[in-house]
Amino acid sequence: MTPFELAEPRSLKDALTLLNTDDPSVRAFGGCTALMLMMKTGVFQPTCLVSLRGVEPQHAEIQSDGGALRIGALATLTAIGGSAMVYRAAPVIVNAMQTLSNVRVRNVATLGGHLAHGDPHMDLPPVMIALDAELTAVSVDGERNLRVADLFTGYYETALAKNELISEVRIPSQAGRRSAYLKCTTRTADDWPALGVAVSFATDGKVVRDARVVVSAATEKAVRLRDAEAVLEGATVSDAVLARAGEAAAAEAEMVGDARGSAAYKREMLRVYAARAVKQALAA
Amino acid sequence: MQRNIRFMLNGRPVEVQVGNHQNLVEVLQGQGLFGARESCAQGLCGCCTVIVNGAAVSGCLTLAPLIEGADVRTIEEAQPDGQLDPVQQAFVETGAFQCGFCTPGFVLMTRQLLDAHPQPSDDEIRHYLAGNLCRCAAYPEIINAVRLAAAKRKG
Repeated sequence: MTPFELAEPRSLKDALTLLNTDDPSVRAFGGCTALMLMMKTGVFQPTCLVSLRGVEPQHAEIQSDGGALRIGALATLTAIGGSAMVYRAAPVIVNAMQTLSNVRVRNVATLGGHLAHGDPHMDLPPVMIALDAELTAVSVDGERNLRVADLFTGYYETALAKNELISEVRIPSQAGRRSAYLKCTTRTADDWPALGVAVSFATDGKVVRDARVVVSAATEKAVRLRDAEAVLEGATVSDAVLARAGEAAAAEAEMVGDARGSAAYKREMLRVYAARAVKQALAA
Repeated sequence: MQRNIRFMLNGRPVEVQVGNHQNLVEVLQGQGLFGARESCAQGLCGCCTVIVNGAAVSGCLTLAPLIEGADVRTIEEAQPDGQLDPVQQAFVETGAFQCGFCTPGFVLMTRQLLDAHPQPSDDEIRHYLAGNLCRCAAYPEIINAVRLAAAKRKG
């Protein structure tokens, strides 16, 4: 790795000041796991890194308000995965954590970094979109809220400005809703996913309402599949409905082939996994 | 871009000069400790496992300056009475390795697992150790070793 300066601000305010620069290679980190991979391969050569590990500890807090969750962006994935509060409010997050990278990475990686990195292979973006999570982005200019669904704009690209940081993520109450996240790994069980599918919906008796179906890893960014959602809306789940939802998902997603599977293969997997995820959510 | 850092290494204080871009494995090598090895260099093989402030991390993904003031423990940490600990003993008794390159990481991760879950299910063992690779594929013996270690610790 090439040498760089390392700043260790003691407050979020100081960190934001350091990030308010014209130098595009100044970057903040929480766990620094994903960034390390980019630096080791030379893809990213910073002049200065800003460690967020020393800022006020409240930015790592997890709070529950009724059924809603408020998770500080610096909460580690281990803290989130081990939180009884998170499990009660949105068990799908805790379940996804079991196979998200590994214990050592989860011990230091943070929710904010996980989302801000913009990597379409990450596990929580589709889950957070399915849960209709919202985040707060902060900068020296102030703060703004946006939905996680609107965070991702392309392959490793986000709606965050260069001087912005995610400060917290809020997940609305999931009362009456069911959710599931499935991923397909094609080389080894612990590989990066070839495909991720998150679903969430309310049930009115046996009828599905307000369905969200999100695909990741096989697409350039985590994105909702509106046609598949439309098939599920108002439907009573049956094998025929699941098949139609899978067909709709496979037809509308813009698949990208890579070393873990061709676009055609991933399309087939999406057809199967979208239906399977709905089934799993119903069984949850 | 260089700085002096001070931290506790296996219970004794050390002070070393590091580059901001260096990683923890390089720092340990400078201290003559080679149990944590950089193998995959991506945090997925577990050969560089180090315990920092009680939590397992990948040494190859840990920037050296971030361990300032930390409590760092490696496989070289002396065990009470100079004996192998129950986890190490269990790995020996079950033959849970061939070349041994990955073994320090597996031993450290197993200790973490048993601290958190003294009687883990096979499923818990597999999930917890999913981030450790053994290229000799001694996995069945490793699972046996973790089970045996759990029994030994229980006494």
